[in-house]
Amino acid sequence: MGVRTRLLRFAAGRPPVFVAAAPGGTRTRLLVESELRRRNGRTAASPAAASVLVVCGRPGAALAEAVDAVWDAMPGPRALVRLDEAASRAEVDAGIDRAVRELSDVAAQQADAAERRERGPWSPSGMDGHTAQSGGHADHSGHEHHTGLAMAGRADDRDGLKLDVLHVPLGPVLKDWPAGLVLGLTLQGDVVQAVEVDVAEGAAGGVPYWDEPWLRAAAGERVTVGEAERRRAAGHLDSAGRLLAVAGWEGAAEEARLLRDLALAGEAPAELPARFARFARRVKGSRTLRWMLGGIGRIDQGFAGRHGLTGPPARHPGDVLARLHGWLDGTGEALVRTGDPAPLRGTDGPRGPVGAMPSRAVLALLPELLGGAELAAARLTVASLDPDVEQLTETAWTAHE
Amino acid sequence: MISQLTWELFGQGALMQPYVAVLALLGLVTAVIAAVYALSFAFAPPGTIGSGPFLSGRPPQEHAVSRYHVRWYVVTMVFLAFDMEMVFMYPWALVVASVGTKAVVEMFAFLGLLLAGVVYAWREGAFRWA
Amino acid sequence: MSETTPAWTVVALPLVLAGLAYSAAAMDAGLRSGGGIAAPLREGVRLIVQQRRRMHAADMLLVRAGVLSLPVAAVLAAAVIPLGRTAVWDLRVGVVWFNAMEVVAWASLWLAGWGVNSAFPLVGGYRLVAQGLAYELPHMFALITAALGAGSLDFGEVAAAQHGLWFAVWMPVAFAVYLLSALAMAFWGPMGHPLADDLAGGAAAELSGPDRLVFFAGRSALLTVAAAAAVPLFLGGASGPWLPGWAWSLVKTYAVLALLVWVRGRFPVLRMDRFMAAAWLVLIPAALLQALVVGIVVLT
Repeated sequence: MGVRTRLLRFAAGRPPVFVAAAPGGTRTRLLVESELRRRNGRTAASPAAASVLVVCGRPGAALAEAVDAVWDAMPGPRALVRLDEAASRAEVDAGIDRAVRELSDVAAQQADAAERRERGPWSPSGMDGHTAQSGGHADHSGHEHHTGLAMAGRADDRDGLKLDVLHVPLGPVLKDWPAGLVLGLTLQGDVVQAVEVDVAEGAAGGVPYWDEPWLRAAAGERVTVGEAERRRAAGHLDSAGRLLAVAGWEGAAEEARLLRDLALAGEAPAELPARFARFARRVKGSRTLRWMLGGIGRIDQGFAGRHGLTGPPARHPGDVLARLHGWLDGTGEALVRTGDPAPLRGTDGPRGPVGAMPSRAVLALLPELLGGAELAAARLTVASLDPDVEQLTETAWTAHE
Repeated sequence: MISQLTWELFGQGALMQPYVAVLALLGLVTAVIAAVYALSFAFAPPGTIGSGPFLSGRPPQEHAVSRYHVRWYVVTMVFLAFDMEMVFMYPWALVVASVGTKAVVEMFAFLGLLLAGVVYAWREGAFRWA
Repeated sequence: MSETTPAWTVVALPLVLAGLAYSAAAMDAGLRSGGGIAAPLREGVRLIVQQRRRMHAADMLLVRAGVLSLPVAAVLAAAVIPLGRTAVWDLRVGVVWFNAMEVVAWASLWLAGWGVNSAFPLVGGYRLVAQGLAYELPHMFALITAALGAGSLDFGEVAAAQHGLWFAVWMPVAFAVYLLSALAMAFWGPMGHPLADDLAGGAAAELSGPDRLVFFAGRSALLTVAAAAAVPLFLGGASGPWLPGWAWSLVKTYAVLALLVWVRGRFPVLRMDRFMAAAWLVLIPAALLQALVVGIVVLT
């Protein structure tokens, strides 16, 4: 065994994983995250930082294009794992194992590198049919003219200054970001001037994972209140974990995800409510978090009413912090009832009435809510609303009509 | 032989001019960094990836380098006032004991004036943005 | 005050710095996701066998300068910090030199963030400059307070002035401010907004392979140097019973380093649009009051 093989094998031991989730792939994403935790794995926030790309669920055309772009941007040695929405825990496990083997396969990695060298570097014109504007753009910094990308144009900002404008998409493939959501931001500096909301759908459709118990009950299946409340608690914890991660508190975010997986596990262990109570006390007690989340992304009753907002964000009007506390309170209440054997009635899912697509209202109010916000605040605001794109797909809508 | 050489070079007795020591240190760091790149050149898959910027999987519409709205520019001005003041404060710290009360009174009167400026800047909203 | 430097320090300093920086990285890996003592080694090897990336129309000279200056600044800052009672460079104005080297990291991050021609790193670099404007003055006042207490800008003399009573004990505000700014100068933990995941890794988002390795090793070294400087400034330097001086230097540095690493998992990140006002209206006046108190004590 050569030195190169040894090095690659050693390096492949704990590869950073970039997780790209498609709408419809939530269940798979949860399996991947819990498998990564079991392996003491780590997640990467950008393609440059990753060795493995895991795609959860089946992306539709637009999302597949984004996944390909991320894959193209990853340096070798690299490995790609595709897991569809029905992947089992064993398949997830095997997929990651295969990725680790691929990473230490010298011949395959060399071939990959050779093939990419042949294809040449990335160019803006080859990507999306964006036409090269080589003629018209001013060349400020002495870069070569044939780069095929325009310099940033200018526009008035909110303070009446003429400043460069950048178009920065958030999503669809972004860490701690709702699967399939795409916000086309117009930035000046790091201030959001305008927001275009778009959705990159999954190819699979199917029942939205977080609303599933309620939809099944509505379709006449027998679902217990306990099962639904477990799903609600897990859903809120998933959202809270995402928000905490965006707030830069990785320790608390990881605890939220762990509690989420415990809540989802067949029989919730007896100590779960106590452990959650400790977690909730710690998060609510953090002065730094209050300081950082208070006052941003404020939604009052009138604003919520105008956009037809329902569910937790409407029940907890206020700022990002209020919505986080709303999730924590909701989780606490749900965890008390995880043993309830009564049949499930009603449609009040984790994000609001399951038939009424509550996330649609969230998407509708985002442009107004995010206008003028700083990029960091915008990310926190989106995380605090955590819209579920799975609710918006046509199939999900018709499934229970 | 080698141990004696080591002793003469690095033993308690061997002394260097400080600037030689710092240059040696710089040389060592440079060598380590060069070794990292050399090892990488030897063992990484050949070729450098030519890549576009990461924008959540979407292609860029323009270069990222742009005239940026430096929204904290007022803070920068206040900062510069203090930063110049620090240049005086370093030598001041050495002579307080010998000059006595006068040094402390003068310095903190000066700092008090600057702080008044900070309060003014705060009231004008210089530390708030977004 | 020696005019010359023992040659062994030139070898000892990088070894000690590398050892401490490695153990900080291992501790961080252990606290966050496990991976054991070999985790940083594994990550280092992974990055060495990884391809480099060249960003479209990037200014590679700036990126390279930003990345490489980080470890260089850390080592040059470390040169004036005594291990035991001996520093590589026993500079009379060591505190000022340390301050100057640590500010190089501002340029490093801004150059690396700007040069890659990518929006997220650009915003990350921007955040770092704002962070610098918030933490640097309280930081300098903390340094000056310690220097004022000793009447010297020489690390060795500052440490020697603390016989009996550590500066950390009777200048608690300056010490606390220093610890906070130590996090900021290595953009670590609660002060890690410039590299935050909400920007996909911020200023470092596009770095891979050896570039990424040098960048993060440099950051780890900066954190170590920040911890090491706290020892002569506030924790009595190499003094202590039973053990030799160099051992006390190491033990104290390690303790501060462990504290800084631990803090990372305990707090959310601080955004400068909120922190800026607090830094100017609370930290600076508090640090100045501390300096005034020390000044009065020095007089009497």
